Amino acid sequence: MGRTSEGVTIVAASLLSAFAVALVNFAQGAGVDAQIGLTFVVFLIAFGTLYAAVRGFAPRATPLLIPPVVALVGLGFFEIYRLSPDLAGLQRWWMLIASAVATLVLFLLSKGTTSVLRRYRNLILIVTIGLLLLPNLPSDWGFPLRGLEVNGSRLWIVLDLRFTEMQFQPAELAKLGMVIFFAAYLADHQKALREAHRRLGPIRLPEPRQLIPLLLAWGGSLFILVWQRDLGASLLMFAGFVLLLYAATGSTGYLVTGGLLTFSGAVAAAVLFDHVQRRIVAWLEPFEHYQDEGFQIAQGIFALGTGSLSGAGPGLGRPDLIPNASTDFIFAAVGEEIGFAGTVAVLAIYALVITVGLGVSFRSRDTFRKLLAAGLTFVMAVQVFLIIGGVLRIVPLTGITLPFMSYGGSALVGNMVLVAILLRISHEEAA
Amino acid sequence: MNGPIRRVAAGIFLCLSALLVGVTWYQVVRADELRDDPRNPRPALFERGKERGLIVTVDGTVLGRSIEDPDDPRSFVREYPEGEAFAHLVGYSSFLIGNSGLEATYSSELRSRRDLTISDLVAALLGSDLRPKSIEVTADPELQRAAQAALGANRGAIVALDPATGAVLASVSNPTFDPELLLGNDASTQWDQLLATEGEPIRDRATQELYAPGSTFKTVVAAAALDTGAAGPGTTFDDPAEFQLPGSDATISNASREPCNDGQTATLLQAVVRSCNTIFAQLAIQLGAVDIGITAQALGFNEDIGYEWDVPEAVWNTSELAQDPAALGQSGIGERDVRATPLHMAMVAAAIANDGVAVSPHAVRRVFDADGGTVEEIEVTELGRAMTSDSATTLTQMMERVVTEGTGRQAAVPGVRVAGKTGTATGSGEFPNPWFIGFAPLEDPSIAIAVFIEGTAVSGESASGGSSAAPIASELIDLWLSS
Repeated sequence: MGRTSEGVTIVAASLLSAFAVALVNFAQGAGVDAQIGLTFVVFLIAFGTLYAAVRGFAPRATPLLIPPVVALVGLGFFEIYRLSPDLAGLQRWWMLIASAVATLVLFLLSKGTTSVLRRYRNLILIVTIGLLLLPNLPSDWGFPLRGLEVNGSRLWIVLDLRFTEMQFQPAELAKLGMVIFFAAYLADHQKALREAHRRLGPIRLPEPRQLIPLLLAWGGSLFILVWQRDLGASLLMFAGFVLLLYAATGSTGYLVTGGLLTFSGAVAAAVLFDHVQRRIVAWLEPFEHYQDEGFQIAQGIFALGTGSLSGAGPGLGRPDLIPNASTDFIFAAVGEEIGFAGTVAVLAIYALVITVGLGVSFRSRDTFRKLLAAGLTFVMAVQVFLIIGGVLRIVPLTGITLPFMSYGGSALVGNMVLVAILLRISHEEAA
Repeated sequence: MNGPIRRVAAGIFLCLSALLVGVTWYQVVRADELRDDPRNPRPALFERGKERGLIVTVDGTVLGRSIEDPDDPRSFVREYPEGEAFAHLVGYSSFLIGNSGLEATYSSELRSRRDLTISDLVAALLGSDLRPKSIEVTADPELQRAAQAALGANRGAIVALDPATGAVLASVSNPTFDPELLLGNDASTQWDQLLATEGEPIRDRATQELYAPGSTFKTVVAAAALDTGAAGPGTTFDDPAEFQLPGSDATISNASREPCNDGQTATLLQAVVRSCNTIFAQLAIQLGAVDIGITAQALGFNEDIGYEWDVPEAVWNTSELAQDPAALGQSGIGERDVRATPLHMAMVAAAIANDGVAVSPHAVRRVFDADGGTVEEIEVTELGRAMTSDSATTLTQMMERVVTEGTGRQAAVPGVRVAGKTGTATGSGEFPNPWFIGFAPLEDPSIAIAVFIEGTAVSGESASGGSSAAPIASELIDLWLSS
């Protein structure tokens, strides 16, 4: 597939999104209105810009990444529009902002190479930690940047611009910063980490000294969990780190130790914290606690079941019955309206995006770029698994967004930047 | 490094496969079970807010319609402008507790077909009309309202039919309820309250409840006697003050506790006019359960008479009564185990009025589409000849005498020839259940009616068909013929 067919596919995916919006309109009796055209135009501008940026700043990048991403954004967008046209209006602005930021990232990286990121890893770490701490700013001070507590979790910041307020989840960007730092750190210390082992039977155990970074990452994750009550981000960052550590060293010991640490952390959290306990109860017995803890998961499952094979049709189901349908439960909402056919398609498209991301990593010769591409893809894949798995009761619900599909500006910006970095790596390694 | 990445990749795809298994589990394997789970509000909500067709009377009075929801222009709310008087006939369409009445019978016609299923979409592309259809109800709104009002504080039911077609002119049950109470989010609570309300307003006494028809059943016995030639109006019977039931200690006496006539002999005509139990018990035993059963069956007893919904079958237990003359004697006056709905007794009156031919009752005349074009015309279904034309004529003459000089005098309408038969059946408690069935005008009957009052403290201990039910029939026949 070349650049031209990539462009054609992007236009087709944009048309499909506008068509889905039209279906919602017809189902709800709104008929033909400006929303349909507006959706098409915004998709064209947002992803056309990104496409143009790739042609300009990463011309040899894989053409296989943007089209499936547009499809995912479109599938999420029509459902957001069905749930709330107001949110969809905001999401359109965020699409434009996200593509502008991704374009800027491509432009900046084209000034040098992605190795710049490796060089500034410590600065990136400091900025990332700063971002993570932002939501803990006081909610009630005079400064225009404030923390915000939503549903008992402290993951939001509010930027008060006097004429309007912007809300942002810094963890969505911090996720990228962390992966960049991990990749750079591991690329620098790969050798030492790989060779330092003690053997215990068949398992190679890392030297205690080499466990320090792992324990630090674990501590950081627990800190997020305890202080900000963000189960999802906490798990995501730790899982991303452990997987990358394993990728860099090939040492199963890290995987085992990481797994044990995750498990013990989870058990401790479940014992100590109410909000984690409620999630466990909702996960194990949603129907027994239908009236309270289990309601959201039960509704999600009813939505999926009622959707059945072909779904109720866009705009014809009742995904609005699921709490947080447009963010955490967008997958169930989509499943209700476009059915098994739709959910399988969504999973297939994620599989494609992940395959392309891993392909970029496989083909990379430079260690840092290889680890960075792998890390970004791992984090995205883990996120997809955690949230869809949460909806499907395979794992406890962690309350994170579904990449590209959920409503949310910070998530969209973060994930589009992730795509931009992958594209740039793919360009550099194709040279 | 590609080795470990590949292994992580394998793990990721294993996880994605788990997700695939998950969606298959919920959306394929358990889909039906989840959809039908009582806690899943979706199937019920699906019907909510959808436009439904009109329910109108022949004269255009709106009984049920969907109007745009003032809070949500994309959805509709159901409205029943005629309210309580039509509550049992029209019913309700509630997203929480389902449909009833004609709303249930014609649910699939009244429902909008827009955006239901893929097959509907295909049908639309092939030119089908997906808009909801409407139904035209045969009932007369004025008569219906008057019938509801006539029952007042009494429990009971009134059914009026067009004798020739079986079309329902009125069908009311009292007490009644406001169907719009059951449309909202609190429908379940309202439903529970209605169930707990004294008199159970939710019950449709007109078509869903069986009662002993009492002396109105004598029309059936008389028809059997006339048909078989066993007796004519002038045939005489012994006239005791009390009739001793054969093989039993029990006796049957008249409401007056007097003989029917002079204590010597009484004619069949006198027995009909004065509603003499003593004579009809004799006649029933003389005719036998089988011959009465043949006429009763021809009048729809022990059969599905066909209506917009299932009506409990009226009961005449031929095989049992053939073995038990005492029970047969009691059954001959519409007591013991004889049962019929008020709708059924209206149909009996209609059959006599219709020259002996019973016609299946129906409440809907036609189904029409959004452009007003008839989609389906409800055909008149004859149950068949229940008695000879001569028998019908003779029975009518006797029933006219009931109104002119007998127990049904209060059913008389000035200037109109009315035929009728009263009944005062044993109720469930200390209070009798008054009945009246009849029809008018005799030259060309246009209305057959059954008035039933369920005995309560309101109707009183001394209530009788002649004093309580007949006046209501008179009022309604008068109203029908003067409009």
